[in-house]
Amino acid sequence: MKAVKYIIALVVIVVVAYNSIYFKKLDEVKAAATAKEFNAAQYAQDFWNNELIPNLNKAVDLSQLSSMLSADANRAFDNYSHALGIGNLRYFLVSGKGIVAVVNDDDMVVTLRDDTTTFVRTIATEFIFGNAVRDATGLININEFKNTMDFNNVSAELNRIIREKVLPQFKPVIKKGDAITFTGAIEMNKAHPDLSHIEIVPIDVKIVPR
Amino acid sequence: MEAIINHKNYRQSLAKFQSLIALFLLCVVISLLSDKFLTATNAWNVMRQISVNICISVGMTLVVLTAGIDLSVGSVLALCGAITAGLLKNGIALPSQNLYIGFTIMGAVLAGLLAGSLLGWFNGWAITRFKVPPFVATLAMLTIARGLTMLWTKGFPITGLNESFAYLGTGWIIGIPLPVWISGFVVFVAVIITNKTRLGRYIYAIGGNENAATLSGINIKKIKVIVYSIAGVLAAVGGILVTSRLDAAQPNAGTGYELDSIAAVVIGGTSLSGGRGTVLGTVLGAIIIGVLNNGLVLLNVSPFWQQVVKGFVILIAVIIDKANSKND
Repeated sequence: MKAVKYIIALVVIVVVAYNSIYFKKLDEVKAAATAKEFNAAQYAQDFWNNELIPNLNKAVDLSQLSSMLSADANRAFDNYSHALGIGNLRYFLVSGKGIVAVVNDDDMVVTLRDDTTTFVRTIATEFIFGNAVRDATGLININEFKNTMDFNNVSAELNRIIREKVLPQFKPVIKKGDAITFTGAIEMNKAHPDLSHIEIVPIDVKIVPR
Repeated sequence: MEAIINHKNYRQSLAKFQSLIALFLLCVVISLLSDKFLTATNAWNVMRQISVNICISVGMTLVVLTAGIDLSVGSVLALCGAITAGLLKNGIALPSQNLYIGFTIMGAVLAGLLAGSLLGWFNGWAITRFKVPPFVATLAMLTIARGLTMLWTKGFPITGLNESFAYLGTGWIIGIPLPVWISGFVVFVAVIITNKTRLGRYIYAIGGNENAATLSGINIKKIKVIVYSIAGVLAAVGGILVTSRLDAAQPNAGTGYELDSIAAVVIGGTSLSGGRGTVLGTVLGAIIIGVLNNGLVLLNVSPFWQQVVKGFVILIAVIIDKANSKND
């Protein structure tokens, strides 16, 4: 009787084990995983070249946007901002022309003018983080991604492109008094828009004749 | 004389149904304050949410019935959920043999449950072998399991598990969420164990009077180790449900769950000094905690105030329990 019990137990263990684990060659598994893995760097580079740069002409003029935000913030947000979901954090793709007023280690301050008002805005030149560039165009859909980590990695890669390719083009040579044109992305809270602290994440900055 | 007996019977009936009365009053008050409370969608949401707490609390009930406590259930939940997710997603790689051991859903779930039972067994072993107070032994396990979870996950969530696994936490069977079926099965088995088996009688005996239980020949060490192992397995069940529902194993999952489960046990009428209480009482306690949480959210009460309210509810439950013990 005891032997029958042991045999039944053994059969159960073998059946459970057979249905619980499987064996493969590690090389094959690694190769398959690499093929399936989301390449955030490649995605970001393709997005930069094929989507972002061709659409920079759609950026709203920052002086006009600043005036509109002061006069009718809701209209400015509705017409020009993009966002993920229903949160209050909104992103704008902006452009402008201004004069560099101050060059700091981590950023530079630029004065912009529209017909009546002068605005002072900051362009980040050292610490590039956040999702402003990824989300400002509204061209990337979160539903295209399997998980939020992949989605967030796109932001990290876009920010890396800016640090490695955009900033070195102007940061070493820029000086107070230079006239520049720029395109970039900004983040703003729709519920509590703070117009005094708008920091632009640069996508394209050019020094131009005054 | 008859009046005194009637009064005593009345008080005993009131004590017996106090949790049910509390739940009824709670539901009435919340439904008067929020029109979203008494809806089928919300009811299923509450049931789905409390399923995890019911699983953990049933294990905690068995532990508390032996006059013990298990503070490690939240961390054990996190570790077992992480082990299940990790094995399911990454398997085990043996580079020296160029071998990859993959786990099916059944394999990963069984591994998670096995890990839970081992962690529970370790708690029981430390408590019985070295006479470490349960509070201290399980507090140590709380830290150990959380640290192991961080090591296993490297501090990052394990995400992107497969859809079939997600069905465990999000699926429906005959119009009822699968987690509710699972917690119902756990409750059914626990009720059978406590009411119809020798193990159940031993558990009550140990909690009622450990010395008397020893003298009557009960192997106290063995029973306690079994009870803590069961609590570990049920924490693992909770961990697997949470992981499946979120489709991710979070390294900080289960933080504070031990308090919710102790609250459910106490509110359900189980005495912290052991020997008195029921699994069904704990289920009622878990439902009360779940309804309270849900109601406070629906009423837009700040999360900080929610903690204060929950704390007071637990305190009141313990005070009532003490009063009942005195009357008995």
